[in-house]
Amino acid sequence: MKEYIPKIREIARKLLEEEKVDAVLGFRKGTIPMMNEPFMARSASDVDLLYWDSNCGINLANYLHKRKEKIAVVAKGCDTRNIVNHIVENQVKRDQLYIIGIPCRGMIDRRQILAMFEGREIEEVDEDAENVIIKGDGLSETIPRVEVLQENCSICIHHNPVIYDEMVDEPVEEPDHVDRYDDIKAIEEMDPEERYQYFRDIFSPCIRCYACRNSCPLCYCPTCFVDESRPQWVGKSIDITDVMTFHFLRAFHCAGRCTDCGSCERACPVGIPMRLLTKKLEKDIRELYGYEAGMSLDERPPLDTYRPDDPEFFIK
Amino acid sequence: MSEVIIPKDELASFVGRLLESYEVFAPVARGGMYLFERISAADEADLSYKNTRLSPKGAFLPQSERMFEFTVAPGKEESGILKEAPKEFRERVLLGLRPCDAQAFKLVDVNFITKEYTDPWWARRREKAILVGLGCNEPRSTCFCTSTGGGPFSEKGLDVLLYDLGESFLARAVTEKGEQIVSFCSGKAPGESLKSKARELEAAARAKIRKSLPVDKLKEKDLLELFNGKFWEKIEFACINCGTCTFVCPTCWCFDIQDEVYKNDGDRLRNWDSCMFPIFTLHGSGHNPRAQKVQRVRQRFMHKLKYYVDKYGNGVACVGCGRCVVSCPVNIDIRRVMEVMTAEVCEREE
Amino acid sequence: MKDWEPKIVAFLCNWCSYGAADLAGVSRFQYPPYIRVIRIPCTGRLNPKFVLAAFRHGADGVWISGCHPGDCHYLEGNYYARRRFALLKSLLEYMGIEPERIHFSWVSSAEAGKFVEVVSEVTETVKKVGPLKYFMKKRPEVE
Repeated sequence: MKEYIPKIREIARKLLEEEKVDAVLGFRKGTIPMMNEPFMARSASDVDLLYWDSNCGINLANYLHKRKEKIAVVAKGCDTRNIVNHIVENQVKRDQLYIIGIPCRGMIDRRQILAMFEGREIEEVDEDAENVIIKGDGLSETIPRVEVLQENCSICIHHNPVIYDEMVDEPVEEPDHVDRYDDIKAIEEMDPEERYQYFRDIFSPCIRCYACRNSCPLCYCPTCFVDESRPQWVGKSIDITDVMTFHFLRAFHCAGRCTDCGSCERACPVGIPMRLLTKKLEKDIRELYGYEAGMSLDERPPLDTYRPDDPEFFIK
Repeated sequence: MSEVIIPKDELASFVGRLLESYEVFAPVARGGMYLFERISAADEADLSYKNTRLSPKGAFLPQSERMFEFTVAPGKEESGILKEAPKEFRERVLLGLRPCDAQAFKLVDVNFITKEYTDPWWARRREKAILVGLGCNEPRSTCFCTSTGGGPFSEKGLDVLLYDLGESFLARAVTEKGEQIVSFCSGKAPGESLKSKARELEAAARAKIRKSLPVDKLKEKDLLELFNGKFWEKIEFACINCGTCTFVCPTCWCFDIQDEVYKNDGDRLRNWDSCMFPIFTLHGSGHNPRAQKVQRVRQRFMHKLKYYVDKYGNGVACVGCGRCVVSCPVNIDIRRVMEVMTAEVCEREE
Repeated sequence: MKDWEPKIVAFLCNWCSYGAADLAGVSRFQYPPYIRVIRIPCTGRLNPKFVLAAFRHGADGVWISGCHPGDCHYLEGNYYARRRFALLKSLLEYMGIEPERIHFSWVSSAEAGKFVEVVSEVTETVKKVGPLKYFMKKRPEVE
């Protein structure tokens, strides 16, 4: 996706020079392979720092809430869905934004690549349209990019921005027939005891750093429930019940809002697949209320509305 | 100090013997990463690792620790009285930790063991610990220990240093405690060829660390000038204020104390805390002196690179392990921050 | 285990199910004594945290009861609650809470009979599944 860079810079330069925006939010090239840093270009001289490749998995909508200035934002499919969320939830105004749409071909799963080459030092990761090229001392490997995409990207059905002011390129083709819920269905098949053990194992490495929460554009509460002290809803230690309570409630707060952008998993320093919870909620909401998050400015989020004939099979 | 050779096929029996007399902590493979954990069997230890995702500080400062216990049951004599949680502090060996992490423990000692106060949990574990380091033949591209007063084969803070010579380890005792451990090895003393191989490895490893940062300049820099620097706004922009950098860091020592009550019984726990969290500095009054992200980001870097330097005269509170560089979700790179902070010094000097 | 009695936290809406409990009382109806009632102003006020908190404090079952659809004192609180409950129940079960532990009902203030029926049914199901196994906050397993 590096071919988008000249166009991104061209649009950004024009917007800044013509003073149509105060800043352009994008990424700059990272200091280590497979990492880029969210970056705000405030003047034309910053523009050449703007960068784009398949390592821009952090969701930039996270940097928009409560901003006052006029901002252009470089946004891939999921980012734009979170921008829609933000607008619907009154965190930012549509006319404050200039959305530079990226037709996204998916982000590279850094963790997977690091694990594939564990023990060997990766010094550079390059990419072309089809492949990811990994270089390091004594290393030069070419891997088809579809094999090393982030899991959420490999099942993504909205690669293209749902809302934009200008696209950097033609839209990419959206896949049909993607089963987004294979893994969820497998867990649903388990009995309660197995499910509990399964999640206990998944969450036990958690160090409570809250990178999942803080990298999430949905988490903008002034005081998070984990920081509330009267009453205190959840303990602060790494006791497994507290850890699971935290992850349960974090996921629940994302119900009907999560766009499966994968920022949480990407940010997690210990590799916890917490999307298993948010995706379950996504599946339920799709089945019960036929809703998909962040697709329309005219629809209320599913937990902020109702229909008189909503399913109530579980109510006595 | 004595040196012996431990052939790699005898490592397991060596670790086995250690396990008979000590608690042993070692790098353990855990689903795509390594962690430094207490082991119960010799084959759990995996010394082929590069570095652990989290630092080994948990061996002395567990992420969550029960300090005291209490009961509030009515009518009991001990009701309402804090009692220290009973614990066994056995002699422990930290096997195969990286030299940077050993250096980190020395930097943290100044916080937990002072003239006036001693943190009993940290101190008792430290006293009973023997640190067996493993030199880094292949430092990672994110390593910069040579800039922070260490090196891939630095003996600072270690009791024994191991050289991985391919077929075998060369173990060199650095302290009296280390001699104890070396005496557990049945191996022979190394010949001159192996000794020179060890020296070559050391030189080659140093050469591999390309990054050199002028951290010495931080001493001279005016504190307020750094504090008021304009550059913080650029550094902090991407930060999401998670606690990852502080939790993976070997020199971050901050903790929070919490009481937990279950019916009539309770514990006083201490948990790792992070200056990145807004609640870290929140006062009971509701006032928060570090309410803004930029203040918190500045605090972390200033503490490591300036306040610590000025207060203890002990160098920077960073050992160049590169963990925060690798784990930061938004690529805030302490090396880049050091460059910016020291560049400001240069500007003033001109 | 023979002597074990279930603890069930019942979150009852002030305007209906709580009244039904009153009516059941003044009508001298008998029902199993294992529920602990918490009065809430509306099922729409029920934060999922409350349910988690009940389990964390060792409740073996949770029962939430409000006004029939269309009868909400605040016109639509129970409609919002209904969506929340559907997801809450599903996610709790997904993470290993047995379905027998979490119950919802609509019981109006006139339905003392239904109140007694539901209490009995909830009690029976919770009794069958036994004491809470997970999500109860105990002394942490830390160093």
